[in-house]
Amino acid sequence: MATIAVDDRSSGASGPSPAAPPGPRRRRPGSRLKLRNTLIGWSFILPNFLGFGLLTLIPVVTLFYLSLTEWNVFGGAEFIGLDNYTRMIGDTSYHTALFNTIYYSAVHIPATLVASLGLALLLNRKLRGVAFFRTVAFFPYITSIVAIAVVWNMLFSPEYGPINQFLTFLGVDDPPGWTTSADSSMPAVIIVGVWREMGYYMLLLLAGLQTVPGELYEAARVDGAGAWGRFWNVTLPCLRPTMFFVTVILTINSLKVFDLILVMTDGGPGQSTLVLSQFIYSKGFEENQFGYASAVAVTLFFICIAVTIFQFFWNRRKDA
Amino acid sequence: MTTVSPTTSVDASTSPLRPAQVRARWKRQASRAVGYAALLVAAAGILLPFVWMVISSLKENNQVFTVPLQWIPDPVVWQNYIDIWAKSDMVTWIKNTLILSVSVTFLQVLTGSFAAYGFSKMRFPGRDALFLLYVATIAVPWQAYMIPQFVMLSNIGLSNTLWSILALQTFSAFGVFLMKQYYESIPESLSEAARIDGMSEYGIWRRIILPLSTPAIASLTLLTFVNTWNDYLGPLIYLRSPELWTLQLGLQTFVGQYNAEHALIMAGSVISVLPIAVIFLLGQKFFVRGIATTGVKG
Amino acid sequence: MKRTIPTAAGAAAAVVLALTACSGGTADEAGGGGGDDTAAPAEDEAVTLSLAGWSLSTTPEFQTLADAFHEENPNVTVELQEYDASEYDTQMTADLAAGSAPDMYVLKNLKNFWTYYDGAQLLDVSDVTAELDPATGGADFYEVDGASWAVPYRQDSWFLYYNQDLFDEAGVDAPDGSWTWDDYVTAAQDVTEGLGDSDALGAYQHSWQSVVQGFALAQSEGAELTSGDFGYLEPFYDRAVELQDSDAQVDFGTVTTNQLTYQAQFGTQQAAMMPMGSWYVATLLAQQESGDADEFNWGMAPIPQVDSSTTGMDATPVTFGDPTGLGINPAIDEAKVDAAKEFLAFAAGEGGADALAAIGITPALLSDGVVDTYFGLDGVPGDELSQFAFATHDTRPENPVDPDTAALQNILGDTHSEIMSESSSVADAIAGAEDRAASEVG
Repeated sequence: MATIAVDDRSSGASGPSPAAPPGPRRRRPGSRLKLRNTLIGWSFILPNFLGFGLLTLIPVVTLFYLSLTEWNVFGGAEFIGLDNYTRMIGDTSYHTALFNTIYYSAVHIPATLVASLGLALLLNRKLRGVAFFRTVAFFPYITSIVAIAVVWNMLFSPEYGPINQFLTFLGVDDPPGWTTSADSSMPAVIIVGVWREMGYYMLLLLAGLQTVPGELYEAARVDGAGAWGRFWNVTLPCLRPTMFFVTVILTINSLKVFDLILVMTDGGPGQSTLVLSQFIYSKGFEENQFGYASAVAVTLFFICIAVTIFQFFWNRRKDA
Repeated sequence: MTTVSPTTSVDASTSPLRPAQVRARWKRQASRAVGYAALLVAAAGILLPFVWMVISSLKENNQVFTVPLQWIPDPVVWQNYIDIWAKSDMVTWIKNTLILSVSVTFLQVLTGSFAAYGFSKMRFPGRDALFLLYVATIAVPWQAYMIPQFVMLSNIGLSNTLWSILALQTFSAFGVFLMKQYYESIPESLSEAARIDGMSEYGIWRRIILPLSTPAIASLTLLTFVNTWNDYLGPLIYLRSPELWTLQLGLQTFVGQYNAEHALIMAGSVISVLPIAVIFLLGQKFFVRGIATTGVKG
Repeated sequence: MKRTIPTAAGAAAAVVLALTACSGGTADEAGGGGGDDTAAPAEDEAVTLSLAGWSLSTTPEFQTLADAFHEENPNVTVELQEYDASEYDTQMTADLAAGSAPDMYVLKNLKNFWTYYDGAQLLDVSDVTAELDPATGGADFYEVDGASWAVPYRQDSWFLYYNQDLFDEAGVDAPDGSWTWDDYVTAAQDVTEGLGDSDALGAYQHSWQSVVQGFALAQSEGAELTSGDFGYLEPFYDRAVELQDSDAQVDFGTVTTNQLTYQAQFGTQQAAMMPMGSWYVATLLAQQESGDADEFNWGMAPIPQVDSSTTGMDATPVTFGDPTGLGINPAIDEAKVDAAKEFLAFAAGEGGADALAAIGITPALLSDGVVDTYFGLDGVPGDELSQFAFATHDTRPENPVDPDTAALQNILGDTHSEIMSESSSVADAIAGAEDRAASEVG
């Protein structure tokens, strides 16, 4: 009910419908206006697009070509068609990395989303010292990653660590070995990942929360909605553009996770935390197979895109 | 949890309180105290790794990594903070990092928010496809294409200059995406009204949309600043000359082939975190509900 | 657009040699000559070569070589270009690909040599290698297809460091050069027991795969990395696991999760023995001087052997170690090639070896004179066993040069953490590595 109020407000107040050509210029409503709009639209995008196209788009397109070649960085790339892609089908390490990446993302994305949204809601209030708490929440993101690895590994320490001591206290007979055991290294890394990034996404959500019109809450309250109802019917719908942004970025960043795992476990023990980004790096820079590394990067790209497009349409359906 | 909300606690009640009210008030204050205590404990927990950084920066080098973890430095080596200025070129590193962070942030926010207007408020063919292209490139891991990119930038003479990092970081799709999503939540009616008043699209961007997106600009500014400040891989690939090093790159010089000055690295990291913390502390006050949403009463 | 010439910038890296890794006064003298470029313009054919090095302020070897060479050849100046120590190969790969790499560069480890060779980023230096002293360690490692592509200027090999004080305290006999690996394990357990409640343990083996695999490959009969048959690793891993299970060594999980450093473990007397490369001598001396490490009696012993056929002071113990090489960038100016080759010959020869030994670095050429220079340094233990351990060894490569080496080592790196974290049994993990080698490599 409250959601409808938003739509009412934004379109109802505007007087003439948006489709009507504005003001005096009414010569040839169709193509001329379209062209004008296109030109103006491009003029907005161009300054950024020039840099983006040159510095990012061209290398990325090159990457797609390189994925079809055998290339050792120095010499010319030799075109080998889809060989790199067929090689992936039989490469068990690639399968492991792919599985681990999906495992990491599948848990990390929802957990981070819930944690950061909770933080954002909590710290969007007029609390005393809210500036301090917001800064603290952001701290994990700016703390040296080595310090994070050391302290968390200490907390996870199978014998002396406070986490396992607590678990033993709770009556867990055989607490996990966390980062020192292949069975539990991934959950350990995910926990640290959520902890580290929740402040980052909190910041983005905090900006989004500022767009929720205050009077909607009052209207909802008058309607007798409880806290949960207000969250579900006011906050979430108004937050949707931001949520879309956050989920897309969070998804991509989770699928691309690299440095945290490198420092925490370096992919180990065994291959238990090997992820795709690390696989790409080691194939490229350690084994000098940049063609194959590029092909793996392309598959990672398509996974990201598939998920993003799904989110895009999901978001659009909700919008409609 | 809603009881913490200050609006409910506006008790301008002039009449003498009945016992039930007193009890309710006590209950509220007790729950608030508990809430604060929980927040403080959580904050302390979250800050633990940072605390470890500070402690390690006050240790002797070989005491940094020990079993079990040593929480109290003995002796306390304040000297590390003197040594790091004396032994290295911290001033240059900070200067370079600052130049990069400020200029990248400024340009990113400027071009990003400008482009975002095109993507969000203008309608023209190919817009959505182009936007998808922007987002798509975020999905490509940088390690995969950094060599082709490096070769390209080297060929136009940008490698080993600060310009390379500026070029690299400024035009990220991230900023465009962030700003665009924020603009979408600004009601169309505002720009429509301005259009009727004869304002140009540029004017609408400058006078209406930009002032209304303060929270988004604040978060983009903070995130871009922090990411540029802490970037390691970019400067590592592009900057060779010691006079161009950034803080993160410079601190790596304390890692030799056979030895590393961990205590000094931690001291440097603490110094590196502080400016960000201060900027954040100041910047977060822009996360207030803007007139964007309160002023749309038609 | 103007193409910046990186060498000019590299030269600005004014190197402070006061921080040399060794405590001896001789090093300061070697680095003292800072006004070297004044003579250059006066010469009729002055040549300036650029050389890549890393962490210049703490790694004096490059400047030492450059200065020593300049002294002998006043018309040639070698300027250093600075790289990151841990990401050296990443930066060098990028620079070579973009054509902005220096004239000469260091091959930091043998594992990446193939990348540069295969990418045609090394000039044929067979003529330089042919002139080298045949005793130069590791010179043949850089030979592919009958030609030589780099020269070794330093070769670190591994031996056993031990803390005499801790052995005395535990009442156990210190290494005498006759040990097999079984003796070593027994001694580690005895020392741990003898030290009782003390924090110190019998041994410290760092978390690197080479600590187990390097010896296994070097010492096992018929072991070959590229064969894809890794059965030779098994007895070595059985011992490594036994060592940590009997608490004579900090377990692997603790080492990795706490990021323990071997310098602190041995230097602050947490362990009585430590297998480590010869570079650690200079580090230990420097840390004792700075106070980072304790003062104690220590020595070097030959690394334990598989069986008694190679033990004792009348045999040559087998150990491993990769040389550090110098190669020439094929993009170098034609006119500079001769000077660059001269520099390579100097660095790998007696002149370079002596200059390096004087700052506590193990040169590839260990002539008697060089060994004397090295043991003349202040603080290096001068006993016979240490001298023997330092100078006498049959050093095999950790990373035999082959197209598949890097990929195989990556697989074995995973195997290492899998076994040492005791996530799988030794036999299962090795079988898994063999499967992966068969399907992913070659």
